[in-house]
Amino acid sequence: MNNQLRPDEAAAALAEIGQQQEKAIEAVLVPVWYWWVVAAGMVAIGAAVDTHSAAVLAVVIPIAVLVIAGLTAAMIFGTYRRVRVRDRELLGDRGALAIVGFTWLIVGLTLGLAFGLRAAGAAWPATIATVAGGAALVAGGPLLMRALRRIMLGNRAGRAR
Amino acid sequence: MTAARFDELIHPPTRLAIVSLLAAVEWADFKVIRDQLGLSDSALSKQLSTLEQAEYVQIRKAFVGKRPRTSARLTGTGLAAFQQHVAALQQIVGRSGVTVLPG
Repeated sequence: MNNQLRPDEAAAALAEIGQQQEKAIEAVLVPVWYWWVVAAGMVAIGAAVDTHSAAVLAVVIPIAVLVIAGLTAAMIFGTYRRVRVRDRELLGDRGALAIVGFTWLIVGLTLGLAFGLRAAGAAWPATIATVAGGAALVAGGPLLMRALRRIMLGNRAGRAR
Repeated sequence: MTAARFDELIHPPTRLAIVSLLAAVEWADFKVIRDQLGLSDSALSKQLSTLEQAEYVQIRKAFVGKRPRTSARLTGTGLAAFQQHVAALQQIVGRSGVTVLPG
C-alpha cells in the first residue's frame, strides 16, 4: 500500500492528523468567558475591600472566592475526567513558564497597583487595582491560551515538519 | 530522528483519526473520541478492539459512581508506530516536493 500511496493522499493524511490533534488540544484550553468571570470576581473583592465594611467583606469575599475556586476546579476536573493531554510533552518548560509568568504578572500588577494607590492616598485603590488586573486578565488570558495552543501544537507527536 | 515505517494497521482513515487524537493525549474518554470523530459506539468499539489486539491501544474500564466509564490511551508501541507512520507519510510527500503546512 505504501508504494501505491500518492503524495497528495499522504499530504491529506498528514492534514487529517494535524486536524485531529488540534481539536484534542483545543478541547482542553480555557474558554474566553472564564477570564471574564474571574475578572468580575476580582473586581467584586476589590470593591468590597474599599467599602471597609465588615458585613460587605463577610458576604462578598467568600462568595467571590467560592465562584472563582469552584469554577476553576470544575473546569480542571471536568476536562480531566473526559480527556487528559500529555501536559509535560506538549507544554514543556516554555508552556509552564508562560502560565506561571502570566499568573505572577496579574498578581503583581494588581497588588502593586493597589498598595501604590493606597500609599498615594487615592480613593478606591483596591477597586481601581482589581479593575486594572481584571482588564489585564481578560485581555491576556486569551493571548496566553493562543500561546499555549501554539506551543502544544509545536510539541505534539507526529507534527508536520 | 524517527525511522519511517508505513503502518497498514494505522493508515485506514478512521483508525488514523483515532490514533492521531490519542497521540496528543495521555488518555481520552470513549465519548470524547466518539464525538470528536463522529462515530457510532459500535464502530468505535470495533476500531479500538483492532488497535488493542495489535497492542497499540490500551482500553481502561472503570466505574464513576455506578456509571461505567471507558477510556483509551496509546501504548508506547502505538505511539512509536504512529510516529514512524507519520515519518513515512512525510517521506512520500517530501519525495514529491509537495509542501504540507503544519496542521
